[in-house]
Amino acid sequence: MKRTSLGLKTPGGMKDLLPEELMALEQGEEKILSLFQNWAYQKVLTPTLEYGACIQPLEEEENPFLKLFDRQGHVLILRPELTTPIARMVNTRMRSSVFPLRLCYGADVFRYSPSYGHEFRQLGVELIGSPSPVADAEVIALAVEALQEVGREDFQISLGHMGIFTGFMNELNLTKEFRGKYEEMLGRKDYVGIERLVRGENFESKVEETLLKFPHLHGKEEMLQEVLTLSEEPSIKNAVESLRQVYSYLQDFGVQEYVSLDLGILRGFSYYTGVVFEGYVPGVGFPVVEGGRYDALYEEFGDDHPATGFAINLKALVEQTPVSEVISADVLVYGDDLGKVIQEGQKLRQGGQRVEISLEPMTASEAEKLAEEKGIQRIQQV
Amino acid sequence: MARSFVTIALPKGKLLEDSLKVLTEVGIPCQDVSEESRKLIFPLPEAEVEIIICRPTDIPTFVEYGAADIGFVGKDTLLEQNKDVVELLDLGFGYCRFVVAMPEEKVPSKLPDGTYNLQELNNQRVATKFPRVAEEFFTEQGMQVFPIKLHGNIELAPRVGLAEMIVDIVSTGKTLRQNKLVEVAPMLESTTRFIANRVSYRMKYERINDLVEKLRQSL
Repeated sequence: MKRTSLGLKTPGGMKDLLPEELMALEQGEEKILSLFQNWAYQKVLTPTLEYGACIQPLEEEENPFLKLFDRQGHVLILRPELTTPIARMVNTRMRSSVFPLRLCYGADVFRYSPSYGHEFRQLGVELIGSPSPVADAEVIALAVEALQEVGREDFQISLGHMGIFTGFMNELNLTKEFRGKYEEMLGRKDYVGIERLVRGENFESKVEETLLKFPHLHGKEEMLQEVLTLSEEPSIKNAVESLRQVYSYLQDFGVQEYVSLDLGILRGFSYYTGVVFEGYVPGVGFPVVEGGRYDALYEEFGDDHPATGFAINLKALVEQTPVSEVISADVLVYGDDLGKVIQEGQKLRQGGQRVEISLEPMTASEAEKLAEEKGIQRIQQV
Repeated sequence: MARSFVTIALPKGKLLEDSLKVLTEVGIPCQDVSEESRKLIFPLPEAEVEIIICRPTDIPTFVEYGAADIGFVGKDTLLEQNKDVVELLDLGFGYCRFVVAMPEEKVPSKLPDGTYNLQELNNQRVATKFPRVAEEFFTEQGMQVFPIKLHGNIELAPRVGLAEMIVDIVSTGKTLRQNKLVEVAPMLESTTRFIANRVSYRMKYERINDLVEKLRQSL
């Protein structure tokens, strides 16, 4: 029976990957994952489906998850990221591990996302069980090297800290209502709205200045000094100090030149608690790397572990790299006796060559033509 | 790509003239940029700028994807589209208001405080270019309505029975009066905003921030 027009399409946001497209992704993935492994990160994989109860304990108003029901009526979610599933896995199946634990992955994740499809490949690392700023610097340095590994040069990592933001919010003693609006606008990056909101409140000038300046605090190390002039609050001082340490270790890793400090980076008020960072490459309108420290997530799954990590959107990263032509075989084996063709093919394959055999008797000129069309360098008659 | 070079998306139509004026004031020579020339891309290498001209409703899309680093766009369009862009500055021009309006003979009764009792309009149809803004407004009032998305001449809809009321932007109110429509509720105000792509704002921070500060001073 012929398929209907629906049967010829893929569902919205879902894409096929043809040989050239897949090769570009796989080459990038291979390079980056072997880099992760050089840094002693072990590869793991969690299932495609998780219970809603794992990914999303409280039902929010709107979320980007792809969901379905199992036979018992439980909500299942196609994994939208791997940090949370890995926390579940580590705290249930890997509790006897020696910490700090370094894990990495390459997996497809699923989200309703208008800009890069509903299914895309993420490569990432999690460094679990260390509160040290060296751990944060290590994952940032690894993100930098991953971008270099796929030939990127003109990229930037912006580094912020959630603790500085929460510190200010607590110190300024704001009403819950104001804080809610401010955070919401900050999340939407509506800086005009923030200016209006803040100016409409009759704050004393120092509070007003802090609230207006915060989203734009940006620069190199001297910016942190400016933050300290805005506040004496101990939690802010601690956060600034930890950011300064991470930044300074980045110099030891030899990657500091790629990193700017930017306190406006607030990764969506999700599970992040400490440093947060984003990686940008020219020509891609959204971050290709997202990461940071999340010290409160593991406790939700039992054992309390501080942790830090990041994920790379592989497709966005390699999309613009030119693809070399995909060549399927090194040699085409042909002849009249198909049995011999098969045997010769097997022999050459054992010798490590990529071999295509003719499936029907073929003349020399037919074989030449086929090889040329397919870009196969050599033909061999038996 | 140099980090000092920016692509600016400007809306064709009534906001273009004011947009070009403020850009010229901050030292970007755009006297040759115009809609009439039918060109869509205007390279200004000396100013390290490229200007592109698009439909106003497409500006947030160009900026969200990073095809343009920055753009000038009405807050009305931003509210309706809810795109992931950075809103940096209110440029002040292009003022308009969102209103709910309907034919004189159908307006709801008035409440003691002199405003119209919108609750009488529950479950009615609203013709609008801004279904999202309309729906959000009515939800906030504790109401449910059926938005009908149109692309122009919204005033026509209640006159031919497509919808009971409209949500639209007005600047003087003249179009409403010509079509015998009465404003029954003010909603929001809108002016032109300076927006940036979120990655461009980080990677080209110095250049974009410099532009914002210059624009802020020239306003």
